[in-house]
Amino acid sequence: MIVNANSNTNRTEILEKEYLKLIRLGVNPENILVLVQNSLKKRKFVDCIKKNSPAGNIGNLKIYSFYGLIYNYILENWAIIENSIKDDRAKIIPNLSGLEISQYIFKECIKEVDFSGYNSKTSLLHQLFRRISLINLNDLSNAEVENRSAILGESFSLQAYEAINKYKKKTIDYRAFDYIRQINLFQFLYKKLENNFQYVFLDDGDEITPALLAYLEYIKPTVKEFYIGYDLLGSSRLGYLGAINIDFEKLLNEKAIKVEKNNQKTINAQKILENVKNDKPIELENISIKTFLKRDEMVENLIQDIKKLINEGIKAKDIAIITPNSDEFLKNTLLKSGFDFNFLTKNEKLNQNKLIGYLLELLKIINDTNNLDISPYILKGIFIELLKFEKVKTIQLIQEYKLERDFKNINLFDFIKDKADFKILFELYQKIRFEKLSVQLYEMIDTFALISRDIKNDIIKINQLLKQITDFEEVLPEVSNSDLIIQLENTIISENPLSDDEIDENSIVVSSAQKIIDYSYKTKYQFLLDVTNENWLKQDIGPLYNAWVMQKKWSKNSFELEDNIEFTKDRTARLLYKLYLLGDNITLYSSVYDSLGIENFSGIDKYFKSNVIIENKISKPIIPRPDQQAVLNYKGGLMSVSATAGSGKTTIMLLLVDKLLSGEIIKGIEPKNIFVLTFMESAARNFKERIKIRFPNLTELPNISTIHGLALRIIKENNNYSKLGLDYDFEIVDEIKRANILAEITSKFSVSSDKVDLYDKAISTYKNEIALYTDYITDNRLFLNVYQGYQEKLKEENLIDYDDLLLFSLKLLRENKDILEYYQNLAQIIIEDEAQDSSFVQQSLIKLLSGKYKNVIRCGDINQAITSTFTNSDVRGFREFIKNSTNVVMDRCQRCATGVLDCANATVRIANKNQIEAFSSLVMKPVENINIVDKNAVTINIFDEEKEENNSIISDIQEILKNDKQATIAILLRNNFQINKWDKLLNQSLIKTYKNSDNLINNPLYRIVLLILEFIINPYDIKLTKEIASELYEMGYYKYDTLQYANKLDKPIFLADNFDEPLYWDLPYFLFKNHYCMYDLVSEIGNIYFSNSPEKINIALIAAMVQKIRNQTKTFEDTVIKLRQIQYKTNFSNIKFFTHDNNQEKNSKVQIMTLHKSKGDEFDYVFIPELTKENLCFTPFDYKLKESSKFNQRVRRDKKTDEELKLEIIEENYRLIYVGITRAKKKLYLSSAQNYKYYSKMKKYEPSEILGELL
Amino acid sequence: MIDTFSANSLKVLEKNLDEFIDKYVYHLSVFKKDNRTILGQQYHALICQYLKGYDISKMKLELNNTNFFDEFIKTIKPDNFIKTEYPFLIKDELNSKPYYLTGRYDAVYKDEGYIIYDWKTLNIPKNIQDDLQTIVYLYSASKIFNTQFVKIRYVAIEKLEYKDVEFKNIAYYKERIDKIISRYYDIV
Repeated sequence: MIVNANSNTNRTEILEKEYLKLIRLGVNPENILVLVQNSLKKRKFVDCIKKNSPAGNIGNLKIYSFYGLIYNYILENWAIIENSIKDDRAKIIPNLSGLEISQYIFKECIKEVDFSGYNSKTSLLHQLFRRISLINLNDLSNAEVENRSAILGESFSLQAYEAINKYKKKTIDYRAFDYIRQINLFQFLYKKLENNFQYVFLDDGDEITPALLAYLEYIKPTVKEFYIGYDLLGSSRLGYLGAINIDFEKLLNEKAIKVEKNNQKTINAQKILENVKNDKPIELENISIKTFLKRDEMVENLIQDIKKLINEGIKAKDIAIITPNSDEFLKNTLLKSGFDFNFLTKNEKLNQNKLIGYLLELLKIINDTNNLDISPYILKGIFIELLKFEKVKTIQLIQEYKLERDFKNINLFDFIKDKADFKILFELYQKIRFEKLSVQLYEMIDTFALISRDIKNDIIKINQLLKQITDFEEVLPEVSNSDLIIQLENTIISENPLSDDEIDENSIVVSSAQKIIDYSYKTKYQFLLDVTNENWLKQDIGPLYNAWVMQKKWSKNSFELEDNIEFTKDRTARLLYKLYLLGDNITLYSSVYDSLGIENFSGIDKYFKSNVIIENKISKPIIPRPDQQAVLNYKGGLMSVSATAGSGKTTIMLLLVDKLLSGEIIKGIEPKNIFVLTFMESAARNFKERIKIRFPNLTELPNISTIHGLALRIIKENNNYSKLGLDYDFEIVDEIKRANILAEITSKFSVSSDKVDLYDKAISTYKNEIALYTDYITDNRLFLNVYQGYQEKLKEENLIDYDDLLLFSLKLLRENKDILEYYQNLAQIIIEDEAQDSSFVQQSLIKLLSGKYKNVIRCGDINQAITSTFTNSDVRGFREFIKNSTNVVMDRCQRCATGVLDCANATVRIANKNQIEAFSSLVMKPVENINIVDKNAVTINIFDEEKEENNSIISDIQEILKNDKQATIAILLRNNFQINKWDKLLNQSLIKTYKNSDNLINNPLYRIVLLILEFIINPYDIKLTKEIASELYEMGYYKYDTLQYANKLDKPIFLADNFDEPLYWDLPYFLFKNHYCMYDLVSEIGNIYFSNSPEKINIALIAAMVQKIRNQTKTFEDTVIKLRQIQYKTNFSNIKFFTHDNNQEKNSKVQIMTLHKSKGDEFDYVFIPELTKENLCFTPFDYKLKESSKFNQRVRRDKKTDEELKLEIIEENYRLIYVGITRAKKKLYLSSAQNYKYYSKMKKYEPSEILGELL
Repeated sequence: MIDTFSANSLKVLEKNLDEFIDKYVYHLSVFKKDNRTILGQQYHALICQYLKGYDISKMKLELNNTNFFDEFIKTIKPDNFIKTEYPFLIKDELNSKPYYLTGRYDAVYKDEGYIIYDWKTLNIPKNIQDDLQTIVYLYSASKIFNTQFVKIRYVAIEKLEYKDVEFKNIAYYKERIDKIISRYYDIV
């Protein structure tokens, strides 16, 4: 019997009834094999049989998942296998272990195979696991694997073959087989044994693997009847889960019974399937779409929706949240809402669980004979959380221990042995120190009575840990306790198909789509999250595995990008089809950015259309000026827009995108065909936000990103990374890691440590050079050695750096015609902002991407090119482009007062007069009736003493603020280090300031997190406590009384006893609450003090950053120290905080920033002080070149002379002052003094030449 | 709600309802596999493979001392053993509410009646007459084999000893089982 029916029918019920019929006819259940998808479905089938059986003997039911069948088969017939192994060892019971032991064994095998030259060593294990999994699930012979290796042109297939063979051999030696490896044993066994199953039931037949199919085909001649339930349109597990589409009618030579519920749901589901396959978006009544910019907004909205439903009486079991990104941020935010959630298990590290983390740490301490470098923070957690020691006593003990350890090198257990309150730990240590790990752990759990209903969710994890330790001890008894702990800490617990998730009816399920389908989990409300994220489309390809080509049915001789796209689409169609059948009302949620602020792309949003029309809130149309109108007259082709400062370039670009989206310029263009490239991430975010407001109904926004964002997409999308030899989880190296790698490599080549920074910059320069001149190799041998060592290390660790991001995307486009065509077809138009700052690589990318449609608009202002001295920007490219395209000039500046405009134009004239080619010939003109007419808008002062300059500026600011409280004022400086001086000066005069720098410490969230982390490790530091109180007072979180209370503190806050003071509750709360995972701790700190957007998402960014640093440092304490060390970094790990549009922090404050930072901004009043020749030099002869500039030249192909370099810098200085000048709307103040304090003495300085010339 | 009980879970339930809930509802038990447990599992597996007719001479090498095992194995012959490692599932009811008994017989021997074998590594438990394992096994075997000619044989492998308990009174067995289950059913 074959039943072709979807999950919206009673298909399983039909099979169950047939089963019961057979039983009633007297068939022994032992002769009926029932194969279901997983353990949960097995339980349901068994329950049904139990329920419908008469009283008495039900019998020996043979109801299994495929892996359950295999497992039992091997155990029942193990003797056959053992007797066939020709060695002198023996095992009575094989270890049918989890993947963790296999990981250990496989790692050992990889070491024995020469994979030199293979890119990412860290992912090698993962690659090989995927490979063997695909081979086994697809039942591929060696010849079939070889054939596929040839199709894919794999470079390391021989090594992979060798490693897998060694692994197979070793698993036999150890008699340890995970569920994938067990498939091989099963295949060996069933061919040797008689089949006892006269009847075979198979449900979810569309999801089975070729390995199972082979078994069914093998026993087919001896089976009286098959009962197959399947969905012809199903097979959502195609790809790396190994499902195969089977024509059961042909296989069994029997017509299928078609059970069809012709209701709307089935019809709609089929429509979804068809539409996705044909790339057509679908609009359905029961599907709505909600789009957000940031992920926190999305999750908050979801929680509100859930609240509403629950208030309406909807039960938790009727709601499912479905996302491929069930990360810490989502978990923390959902759990805070107060509802119960059931996160269906995912692969995770065991020590992500707090209890397990502390248990492992304690085991580590017990098994480390020295244990002198224990983290006090961890010790505190163990004592309070695990051993339930009294909190204050614990803090005091740890403080004493820290002091004694520093002086006497005393061992922890020697230290506590005479301390009555902690003796129990010493006694336990004495009892178990020489035991094996499993015994130690068991005794710990027992002694401290850890098992209770309070931790019922953790018991599964504890048992997983115990089981894993026991498995290791059985299979690998030679591994020492300490080594085993390291292994356990690094092991990712994989999902075991033999254990299933418990689904609690009172919780809302949070799960992946596949799991919802696997469990046929039907709900009234499905919330699909992160629909714009590419993780909805599973990663099926890596350098050593390709789930599509390794399919049993693969018959083509090549594998193209198009194949990958088609297969992925097919699988996605099936997945969405099946998912839809399980939900009544479906809401799709998307956010433009993920939890880390990285743009989402390539999700499933493109397949759906919203049926809800959101009203456009923009009422006032923007009327362009005539010089702007020329941009909007664009009809296609190459266009350059030379736009002076203040000419309204951003607005006009926005209007241009508006026009494009309305289809007026290019017919039929879709948002996905529009690419906008900005220089800064903040500009991209801002642009997106504006588009979102203007087009609230757009589910898919145009591609608006920085060049790095676009490059990342090119590398990630459609598994393109595999062509670079990268695994899907490659990461971008962060600053700490990069510095560590460089330090390691440079020291290997005896480069002195003070030169490391030079290499850091030169590597970036060199990468740009080799992109420009593909066959160029530097003749600087030492540099080349360091460079190669650095690259090698990155490869080994599956890392890339920011320059690679661009280089690799360029390489992919240059070397793969199909990838190039894919993006060329997409990119119907490319708009580039800040084109004067575009690098050669960026320009090459634009050229390649626009190769088909050749519609490119590049906007910029050569006069504002100020990044070439510290980036690889190449203004020449833009100059060339202007020559070869239709050039539109927007020379009207409506921002600056006329006097300021004159000053800016004068700067251009001065440069020309001095024969410095810094500027274009563009002369800024005012807009009639808009610009303030003020010929005296500019004040230039040269003071004698620094103090005079300071006082003059302060009094000017005070005067401005007296007359105009809403005025925006900025102090623009040449260098970052000047910011603090001016901040201090203004604050002393009670003028509020806002330091507009990207320094981490400038972010209040970062400051608070860091201070509280420091407090946790230094609870006795009263000064620190006072600092925290002061910071929180400044933020408005505490009242003045609390600040006063803190200032009067004479003992550590946790020993104080003023219950009325919030400080008394806040800080000890963090001190006593132990988070093993720093992500959770930082999240909690952030969430207590910050509750609005965008801080909520910024908390997630900081938490992720801290956790990343934690993973790279030895202890919690080291992490905190590191966080303090990097406080002045402007950008760590490319974390880009979200900012308020109308940042409250900036309001009525004087903003202090560098000239560079001010670009793109405008202020009523601008001060540019300290304009000395040393700070801003305009004469090449007088300029002293920095060592880094010279060093960079040594790695270039066409090396510039010192004179040429100096000239370039002088050109840029002209443009820099030009940028500063053009920030001022009403008044501009340029100044310098002739004497500044240099350390403690006064030193003479020459004012910058420009002041004299402008005067 | 739990509706399926084993001899072990009934033992816990009889002793303490809270402990039963902890262990079987909340699964608050800790995985423990000591050397004794491992040895017991090995004996069971070896005997099972032997009774299935497989050659166990190689597998046996894993045991440190095979002498007594060889002695023991001589006492059993595969021929009349009809089942080994045999799971059972029985349906019954209490006040019209169904419940199920489950377990796994180590081996079943058939002559005129049926002998349920239960291998013990070291000692045969005391009071086996009244042991819940005895009761559940005999009660379920009488249902499975449809006869009252059943007995349970506890075999101490290392000591080469055994003790039998004959099937006695089905009503008593049911009453005892029902009484224990009602402790839990009454509260759910």
